Amino acid sequence: MLRKLLFQNQDKKQLVIAVIGAVLGITFLVTSIHYLLKVNEFGKGAEILGPNVIIVQKRVNNSAVFGLAKPDFSKQEIEKIKSKKFINDVKPVISNNFEVEFSTNDKLVPYFRSDVFIQTIDPEYMDVKSAEWKWKPGDTIVPIVMPRDFIVMLNTFMSASGIPQVSDDVAKDIRFKIKISNDNGEEVVGARIIGFTNEVPSILVPQAFMEYGNQKYSLGADQKITQILISGEESEFGLVEKMIDERGLESKNSQMVVGRLKSIVGTLILIVLIISIVAVCTAGLVLIQYLQLLMTRNDYEVRTLLRIGYHPKLIVKTFFRYFVMIFGIVAGIGLAIFFILKYFVDGLLETGGLAIETNLSYAAIGALVLAYLIFAFTSYRTAKNGIYKEY
Amino acid sequence: MNITLNHVMPEPLASIKHSEKSIWGNLISLKSREKIMLNASSGKGKSTFTLTTIGMRKDYSGTITYNNQDIKAFTPDDWTTIRQEKVSVIFQDLQLFPNLSVKENLLLKNSLMDTFSESEIKQFLERLEIEDKWTQKGGLLSMGQQQRVAIIRALCQPFEWLIMDEPFSHLDIENTNKCMQLIDERTTELNAGFVLTSLGDDHNYNYSRELNL
Repeated sequence: MLRKLLFQNQDKKQLVIAVIGAVLGITFLVTSIHYLLKVNEFGKGAEILGPNVIIVQKRVNNSAVFGLAKPDFSKQEIEKIKSKKFINDVKPVISNNFEVEFSTNDKLVPYFRSDVFIQTIDPEYMDVKSAEWKWKPGDTIVPIVMPRDFIVMLNTFMSASGIPQVSDDVAKDIRFKIKISNDNGEEVVGARIIGFTNEVPSILVPQAFMEYGNQKYSLGADQKITQILISGEESEFGLVEKMIDERGLESKNSQMVVGRLKSIVGTLILIVLIISIVAVCTAGLVLIQYLQLLMTRNDYEVRTLLRIGYHPKLIVKTFFRYFVMIFGIVAGIGLAIFFILKYFVDGLLETGGLAIETNLSYAAIGALVLAYLIFAFTSYRTAKNGIYKEY
Repeated sequence: MNITLNHVMPEPLASIKHSEKSIWGNLISLKSREKIMLNASSGKGKSTFTLTTIGMRKDYSGTITYNNQDIKAFTPDDWTTIRQEKVSVIFQDLQLFPNLSVKENLLLKNSLMDTFSESEIKQFLERLEIEDKWTQKGGLLSMGQQQRVAIIRALCQPFEWLIMDEPFSHLDIENTNKCMQLIDERTTELNAGFVLTSLGDDHNYNYSRELNL
């Protein structure tokens, strides 16, 4: 009866408009947060380097060819790059300063041997399991990450030798060995592939192995830093790219393309997210204003209920429950539209070559719950202030 | 419950000269179970008395106490208990809900303390000869009928005091007498007192005391 009394003086048209606005805002909010996160996750795990991380070296030009320009990075140059606002960190890529020979050590594959170049990068920026990516002096097996080009080359070699080609998984089971040496000595350790990379053109080894080799089998000359790893701010890849170009640096094109694509899509979705937050706030305000209007229209009813002995808490609860129910319906419809949109957008993205993960983003649902809680709290405060002002 | 008005002067009435016997500006005690007529001509503050005594207006100097407790210190919780169990009011402007039926108006009040059954409430309507209005909307009733519904509504709760602000202003003598009898029965049954404000008519009732404004 209380509900009948308090909600009979409604302008349903106004309520419907406020609800439509809120549904649109909630739908855009959930959708944009979901896709912002999914685009940021895109490519994660597929590559060894973490997101927004690239390896760069100085571009080879005529001056470098004639020895007029230094191909290596000085400490000052690294610090200068690190000081940029859109750069999170800069780490040197350490190379071997000892001789390295890489060969197969497995009866199942033909013998293959080559002098190779190995490198190590800070494990913080590598997307590998830390339990697998470790080595200490005395360990007989060193984990390695191979350039994907290697498996192509190995398969070409196997094919030419009349042996079946190997997949990534099979390649990880092949036993290899690495000989590290200088003029004074040598040492052989087993090697096991734990992953492949398109981003680094050399074999990657754990830092401890590189330090061990560079200490024990050093060739003597000072080690130069010819490559650096740059970790850029999310959605500011455009600035990183601009800086790389201005400083005469270069990176593998594939890294730049993915970074640029993620940056552009991420920025676009971020804009949509900001618009969505504004839309949700506006729709929420419209609903709260509607609540205030409803209370003003029921001024007589509320005052009389209080006069005949109704507790203000009960009247506040009646208004609060009604609006929480309305926003619950708004959230439910918004979520349903999001799922329908997601079904189509996922298909569109996949067709467009951006096959992102299709599982639900908890942060998007979290944003919906947060918006709901903020609205519930604001409704409660508005109803309470409106009712208790009668005392 | 004793109600005391200790030199109470409502702000809008401060500029008016009041008689020495007026409740305004004097120390007046309304003793439990008293049946009081508050007599005054128009504009002397009969409705102001009702609204200040039940805490709906606070624009006055002096103090009003219930059992020596200043009502200005009461919380919303206190007022809810008082309005549900201690003091019932018949407002001059009746304060019915025009879009609710007579039944809904009465049950809305009765449900707070579950005082009467629906059939008992219907018996009240029969005694005041408005039983046929049970399902009719409050706003469609005549002022006299609305006044009788407002009287019944005020009786649908336990109380120690019944404050009535010109409750019979739209009723003829016959209906006034029926209402007065019902009110007397209910207040006697509850061992309660009442204050009836009037323009001078005593409605043929034998009051314990008469006060003036």
